[in-house]
Amino acid sequence: MSRRNLAVPLIERRRTPIGGPWFGIAIALAAVATGLLLGGLLFIPFDSAPVDGYSTLFREGFGTGRGLGDTLVKAAPLIFIGLGTIVTWRAGFFFLGFQGCLLIGATGSAVVALAASDGRPLDWAPTAAMIPLTLVAAAVTAGIWSGIVGYLKARHDGNEVLLSLMMNFVAAFLLNYLVSGPIRAEGALPQTERFDESAHLPLLLGSSNNLHFGVVVATVLVVAIAGVFRLTAFGYDLSATGHSPRAARYGGIGIATRTIQASVLGGALAGLAGWSQVLGVQYRLLDGLDTATGFEGIVAALLGGLRPIGTAVSSFLLGGLSIGAQVMQRRTGIPASMAQVIQGLIVLAILASGPLRYYKVNLRAVLGITAPTGDDGPGPPPGVSSPPAGPVAEPERNPGAQAADPAA
Amino acid sequence: MDLINNTLLSDVFLVTWLAGSIRLAAPVLMAALGETIGEVSGVLNVGVEGTMLAGALAAFISANETGSPVLGLAVSVGVGLAVSLFLGWMYVTVRASQVVVGVVFNAAALAAASYTFRAIYGNSPGVMTVSGFRPIEVPLLHRIPILGGSVFTQSPLTYITFALVFGVWVMLYRTRLGLALQAVGDHPKMADAAGLSVAKLRYLGVLASGAFSGCAGGFLMLTAANAYRDNMISGKGFIALAIVIFGAWNPVRALWAALIFGAADAMQLSLQAAGYTFVPQLMFALPYLLTIIAVSGLFKRRTQPSALLLPYRRS
Repeated sequence: MSRRNLAVPLIERRRTPIGGPWFGIAIALAAVATGLLLGGLLFIPFDSAPVDGYSTLFREGFGTGRGLGDTLVKAAPLIFIGLGTIVTWRAGFFFLGFQGCLLIGATGSAVVALAASDGRPLDWAPTAAMIPLTLVAAAVTAGIWSGIVGYLKARHDGNEVLLSLMMNFVAAFLLNYLVSGPIRAEGALPQTERFDESAHLPLLLGSSNNLHFGVVVATVLVVAIAGVFRLTAFGYDLSATGHSPRAARYGGIGIATRTIQASVLGGALAGLAGWSQVLGVQYRLLDGLDTATGFEGIVAALLGGLRPIGTAVSSFLLGGLSIGAQVMQRRTGIPASMAQVIQGLIVLAILASGPLRYYKVNLRAVLGITAPTGDDGPGPPPGVSSPPAGPVAEPERNPGAQAADPAA
Repeated sequence: MDLINNTLLSDVFLVTWLAGSIRLAAPVLMAALGETIGEVSGVLNVGVEGTMLAGALAAFISANETGSPVLGLAVSVGVGLAVSLFLGWMYVTVRASQVVVGVVFNAAALAAASYTFRAIYGNSPGVMTVSGFRPIEVPLLHRIPILGGSVFTQSPLTYITFALVFGVWVMLYRTRLGLALQAVGDHPKMADAAGLSVAKLRYLGVLASGAFSGCAGGFLMLTAANAYRDNMISGKGFIALAIVIFGAWNPVRALWAALIFGAADAMQLSLQAAGYTFVPQLMFALPYLLTIIAVSGLFKRRTQPSALLLPYRRS
């Protein structure tokens, strides 16, 4: 690598790539710093100093009780989508259809919630019954929706990336059809009637704060999914399937079955994002209820290193960023989409960090200390750069393997 | 019967439907042609969607500032090249997952376009339009009944796109460059051993994809949309990816695939114009459903470049 024919090169190539959770966290923090630094430039066209801009943004997102409530409410769907991403992607199933699952899950739970209105079949049901009923409806409908893609991938070798992207559009048209025809309420807008109070997710801190019960469900599921991957054979099978399908098959794991299971579970989790949106925020199903959360959740999962706890933390950060940016747009006119630009920059920085795993900076050489160290032996001979064994050598077609690496 | 005799077989319907099919197919075909070059070299550029939006916005801004659609189109190609240089760096040099980079890039590009438009024109600029390219009637041929008013009365960019189909076909299958691109997409190791630069050729593939996608975005802006909306691409970039697969990585087959998609899309517009209202959502969803069938694996033709999606590392 180094053509500077010096005894101690400034930058050395590692024999084995560095990995592990701490390295992943360090990279994530560096990426967040890079994203915020570059994103700071976006304040300048609006004659706003980046420091002032960010302090407003973070104060609104994290600094007030109300803001924190909104941030957690915004983070909940990101967590659900992020968990869906973890389950599917770690199983090597590169599903991108969470947006569609969100809409389908929202529709499924809304249909059940509408049945709680006066004179309908679920009129009797109290909130304690409506929560599990709507939750199951969202999970089942969205799980079936994503299961179609899993089935086509596992049994017919369909292209899950394109399939799931197209399914998103179909889901949006399906929702549009339902709210402008069969379940449309009287009125000018394509939307259903407002749900009965019994089908609203309870507010946890009274009516002045938007924090609702969906956040609790999200938190519980973070712990549950972390447990699945850490403690259960099922979780191990999923990771093995994603990491090396060939080895997994040799080890007796049914790849096709695991892929379908991952797709159904991932879609069901993503469906809960729709559930928490319609029953916790909108209280009705409406056209265009969400356009981006299905992808922002993927971004949150990548920022969290495809780990449940990390994803919860990054969802919280990204949620606060969005909420702060919305308040800022109302006050100063700086477009709220800058929050998504910053998100994108952060994750692109993480994705670009891959090569860092193969190099280390030789601090002694940088500081001008010329004494040979001898600890690590001489660096690799110049010009010879053997690729480290490990994830890269895996010949399976595995489009996200490298993105998943920080988690591996 | 009434529907078939009075509507589907009437001249007016056929002309609007045919014209609509070609008009809607052309920009997506343009993006698909570039994507074909990229995929033949072994890189699946999922960033088409975002690149098209960037191209469309660039065309809008430059055409709006200068009043020149030609300049607008040129800028959209330039912006396509610029963003694909970044994407190429991520795909080829960094060797990050192509699907993940593409998806994240698309999300970032959507937000960045939305931000840029508002930074320049304010948060609620009202309806702003730019003038674009007018349809050209091909001399003599435009007098042919039905075909004249549809096939031979199109935007100049449409004719250019159809010419490019054959240009790209010749480049891929009749030149050394095309052979080299195929080699690095199918057997990068052997191509490397034979002295070809895998990285350079793949960068070239990604840049071609970016230039065509940016141009496709400008095309949409300057012939169809004439105004910027955040959701103006709404999946056309993904349909371009589907057309590449549907067209089995062959530009001429991609032409037919694009026309099928265009026809499905135009059918809904034409039926609406003729006064029929089926479930409109079903018609809107038709191109996406077609894509789902195309990539479901149920009708598999295993012809994809063997090293597609696989980053190459010299050893």
